Amino acid sequence: MLNLIKNEWMKIFKRPGTYVMMAILIAITIIVGIFFKYQDTNSKAAVDKKWEQTLQQENDALKKQMDQSQTKIEKKFYQKEIAINDYRIKHHLNPHEKYNVWSFVKDASELIILAGLFTIIVSAGIVASEFNWGTIKLLLIRPINRTKILTSKYLTVLMFALFMLGILFVFSMVLGAILFGTPENAVPYLNYNNGQVTEQNIVVHLLIYYGLNSIKMIMLVTMAFMISSVFRNSSLAIGLSLFLLFTGDQFTALLSLKFSWAKYILFANTDLMQYFEGTPMVEGMTLTFSILMLLLYFVVFQFFAFFVFKKRDVAA
Amino acid sequence: MEKIVELRDVTKVIKGRTIIDNISFQVNKGEVFGFLGPNGAGKTTTIRMIVGLMGITSGDITIDGASIRTQFEDAVRHVGAIVENPEMYKFLTGYQNLVHYARMIKGITKEKIAETVELVGLTDRINDKVKTYSLGMRQRLGLAQCLLHDPQVLILDEPTNGLDPAGIREIRDYVRLLAREKNMAVIVSSHLLSEMEMMCDRIGIIQNGKLIDVQLVQEFVQSTESTYELEVVPSDKALALIQTNYPNIRATRSRNGISLEVSKEEIPPLVKILVNEDIQVFGIKEVAKTLEDRFLEVTKEKEAATHA
Repeated sequence: MLNLIKNEWMKIFKRPGTYVMMAILIAITIIVGIFFKYQDTNSKAAVDKKWEQTLQQENDALKKQMDQSQTKIEKKFYQKEIAINDYRIKHHLNPHEKYNVWSFVKDASELIILAGLFTIIVSAGIVASEFNWGTIKLLLIRPINRTKILTSKYLTVLMFALFMLGILFVFSMVLGAILFGTPENAVPYLNYNNGQVTEQNIVVHLLIYYGLNSIKMIMLVTMAFMISSVFRNSSLAIGLSLFLLFTGDQFTALLSLKFSWAKYILFANTDLMQYFEGTPMVEGMTLTFSILMLLLYFVVFQFFAFFVFKKRDVAA
Repeated sequence: MEKIVELRDVTKVIKGRTIIDNISFQVNKGEVFGFLGPNGAGKTTTIRMIVGLMGITSGDITIDGASIRTQFEDAVRHVGAIVENPEMYKFLTGYQNLVHYARMIKGITKEKIAETVELVGLTDRINDKVKTYSLGMRQRLGLAQCLLHDPQVLILDEPTNGLDPAGIREIRDYVRLLAREKNMAVIVSSHLLSEMEMMCDRIGIIQNGKLIDVQLVQEFVQSTESTYELEVVPSDKALALIQTNYPNIRATRSRNGISLEVSKEEIPPLVKILVNEDIQVFGIKEVAKTLEDRFLEVTKEKEAATHA
């Protein structure tokens, strides 16, 4: 199995396209970094000396709003804001931390969508290309069954996804440190859960943040992989997956306004962050429900990919 | 002779159409088996079933006793194959391509790869990208790829397609050498009879998905009545003479004289008659039959037999 993955890895990294993808990812991170740096220097807001007072005022206002609000969800949101503000006042944690490396890493995580885009391209090609090149014939007449070959290809795609995310994380960290500097004392991230505010190491928080943000990407990569295996057509796999990557959320949000079955759509469940901060897309959705839905989609995608690949008559 | 590949009542149905109809044959160690048939007869489909690229609708194929359906890995371990063109990864070098395939089978050392490269004569160019290779070189790399693991069965689908005469000859010598010295069973498919004649020990003829005949090459070629072209003057008189003396022979007028369908033994007496009648004989030459002609003959014989 290790040898098979080595082979797939070699086939990805001996193609110039892969380096172009890496270069684009890095270049865009740099552009974003320079943009933020420019904004940061332009809007050097006067440091609020009396921030504790400001927060107290904010809390009072929030409390009033909370009393007026009708829905449970809104109330919850206000509760959370107030709790965090209280915690800051109590522990002397200024909310308006100077923009630093961690802020940049968090902002740059928006680029995960770009890493997703490139991984989808690789995933869509990894089976379909073998058919296009005709090399599938030589690949499948080795004493290795088809399931193993497809598994090695999928694992390679996951590793590539991890590799792209790794590049983004490490590079934005290095760039952020150069452009914005590291804070003198590490500021923890404040987590709110069931009325409790807890401190979380910022790096741990960012890693979790990255992981949760990558779920949609992994699901779409798996879908591209399935289309690639079932239809042997990388263009279709790339086109459909990218279309859904960029529009899936909006469509689902629109549908969820009208229909409650929208919660069964993949994209209603890919953002697990909604359960930790914010509100679920459709009322009544829970973390368990979403994880189950994600697993279901995953299993269905893999089932089709493997079933068709195993049964296929290779006549390319 | 020890059999290594065996097809038993193999049938392939695709979308209700029977592509391969009940084919059975065996291939022995150390022999070159030719698979002959026009385009679309089912040669490639049969070969794809032997190597497990296509499923078998009914019947079974065994390689060294292991079924390709149920014991795929054991069966295909003994097989090296090129199916149609040797498609390689063009963006990799020849060597990387071989490493790629070597990793998929246990126990292939670097030395073995180097030895195989040497064997097919690609040592000078092995570190160049495959996209810079000529068709002949790709064919040789394809051969290297299937010889890496010392297979007992070598399967080459149209191995000389698109090669120049030197390349064709190279492949042919190679195939004979492997069968003789390594005791490999080689299955070769082609639609060119002349090529088969020089390369194979036995020939199986396939048409419309049916195996029509399996014969030793010598028998196949010798049992034929060839067409001879006689360059004679005056040709009218010669034609009339032959028709009266040999009413059973098919004789027709051709561009340079007359053409006859006779067996070799009949030629000397025939010439004698012509010479005795003062007909000038400038030349006699055998006209090689195209596969199509031979094919029509074989199939006609079969049809006649079934209708009788």
